Amino acid sequence: MGHVTLRGLRLTAGARRLLDGVSFDALPGELIAIVGPNGAGKTTLLRTIAGFVPPARGDVLLDGVAVEALGTRARARAVTLIGSDAEAPHGTAVREVVATGRFAYRPWWDWSSSDDDAAIVESALECVGLADCAERAFDSLSSGERQRAWLALALAQNARLVLLDEPTSHLDPRYALDMLRLMRGLARDGTTAFVVLHDLNEAAAIADRVAVLGDGTLLAFAPPAEALAPDVLRRAFGVAFERVTVAGVTRVFPLAAG
Amino acid sequence: MALGLFVGGSALAPRDVLGALAHPGAAGDAGAIVWALRLPRVAIAACVGAALAVSGALLQGMLRNPLVDPFLTGVSAGAGAAIALAVVAGVAAGFVPAIGFAAGLGTALLVAFLARRGGGVDAERLILAGISLSALFSAIVALALVRLGREGGDAVLAWLAGSLASRGWHELLATAPYALAGTVLAVLAAPSLNALRLGPGIAKAVGVDIARTQWLVLGAAALLTASAVALAGIVGFVGLIVPHVARRLVGTDARASLVAAALLGAAFVPLADALARSIAAPTEIPLGVLLAFIGVPTFLYLYLRPAGATRLWGT
Repeated sequence: MGHVTLRGLRLTAGARRLLDGVSFDALPGELIAIVGPNGAGKTTLLRTIAGFVPPARGDVLLDGVAVEALGTRARARAVTLIGSDAEAPHGTAVREVVATGRFAYRPWWDWSSSDDDAAIVESALECVGLADCAERAFDSLSSGERQRAWLALALAQNARLVLLDEPTSHLDPRYALDMLRLMRGLARDGTTAFVVLHDLNEAAAIADRVAVLGDGTLLAFAPPAEALAPDVLRRAFGVAFERVTVAGVTRVFPLAAG
Repeated sequence: MALGLFVGGSALAPRDVLGALAHPGAAGDAGAIVWALRLPRVAIAACVGAALAVSGALLQGMLRNPLVDPFLTGVSAGAGAAIALAVVAGVAAGFVPAIGFAAGLGTALLVAFLARRGGGVDAERLILAGISLSALFSAIVALALVRLGREGGDAVLAWLAGSLASRGWHELLATAPYALAGTVLAVLAAPSLNALRLGPGIAKAVGVDIARTQWLVLGAAALLTASAVALAGIVGFVGLIVPHVARRLVGTDARASLVAAALLGAAFVPLADALARSIAAPTEIPLGVLLAFIGVPTFLYLYLRPAGATRLWGT
């Protein structure tokens, strides 16, 4: 489960039209990278898929059901979105941050937390390699560890669709690779994942398919070797790209202007 | 809280106070002073402290802003202006608390109405509306004070400076239902508020109904603050500082910090009131004034000392 269908989506920001005519299907357990220039509508697309904002036109279906039609809590048990603006107040323990992922599994007014929840939080922390940091303050973690903690929250939420907005921004190569590996693992376990990435080569390395946004529409939705074609990227970003294949992996590089 | 029972205008030996507590029906001055004056005063101080501290903790949590206090809701300014106008109009003193309560709640509603956006409220609009309306109502109070002159102004000033003088069981029972309703809303909001500390984005993603949480928090804060204002006038700094101390003690979990804020507020205000009554006895220092003298240095010490953690919120 975790089949996502976008049908004829039109997204707007105020009076401005951001994206139009976005349609594709993502299969359960697929890892989809979303790339595009700044302001192309990547974050808005994620927020729309998450059911946070209604599309101006079109439908988002999760396993055949409109995401918009789901109630707040039912939606949170099916889909989660970790934005790039998430933060925890000074001194909040990592375990508390991750445990927040269990909110939708209790009545909203309930002060208690169950042993089942504790076990799920523990296993989410282990999965991202933060079991030893559970009692540490979230703000004492490095950027890479924080990203992993947010991913643990998403795991604790046990949603079949996970949306991540720029999870590798500000990370050094080791932590970025670490995150990419964890996302790959997520998809391998059957969770459908959409990831907004700025680094096209990260998208090429991990994604099953890449959605390239630009020019107000979806320019390509295909496996990396096909989606990251120089002509598509030139149209999206307005600069020329060179594509090479190294050890079977597609690599793209922007060329200096002129 | 216990200290408040042993301190007061009449010199009672601790043994007499304990004796009066143990034998509620016994006749004598000690019994009358303890049961009719000191006990209700301590109980009111504890309720006012808890109500303001919980309101502050709720609003700071919802707006994720450590500089917010319960009076941001406009409750105190609205109540102050209404009380000043009531005194100008010559309304009987017995009705003044009720007028303050109603005007405080009404102002909170107006602030929330101005701040609404989508299904909920916008944090920046709320702060702007609260500050703007407070400024307007402060001007009304100033105008009323000018109109009343020196003599008549004292009744208004007593409210503005915060005081527990001549309050009793009757006033406490009259406000109890509203304070209780505010407490129930606060209890309902706490788990959602706990998720909201990670930001509205994460809160929404994990299934929090943000608009419902905002209305619960605003309703709770308005009811609790208006109850506190009706009982004790404008008692500042408790709602700003106590939530900080609570978070320092028990961490950022909204459930734990709300309970801790309630307990600390319920201990802090009776203590301050006991000091206000005894430092310059027989003259009582206004409670709000004393709290400012204690609260401000405490706050500055906690957050401005070079070695301490100076971060109030965020990472």
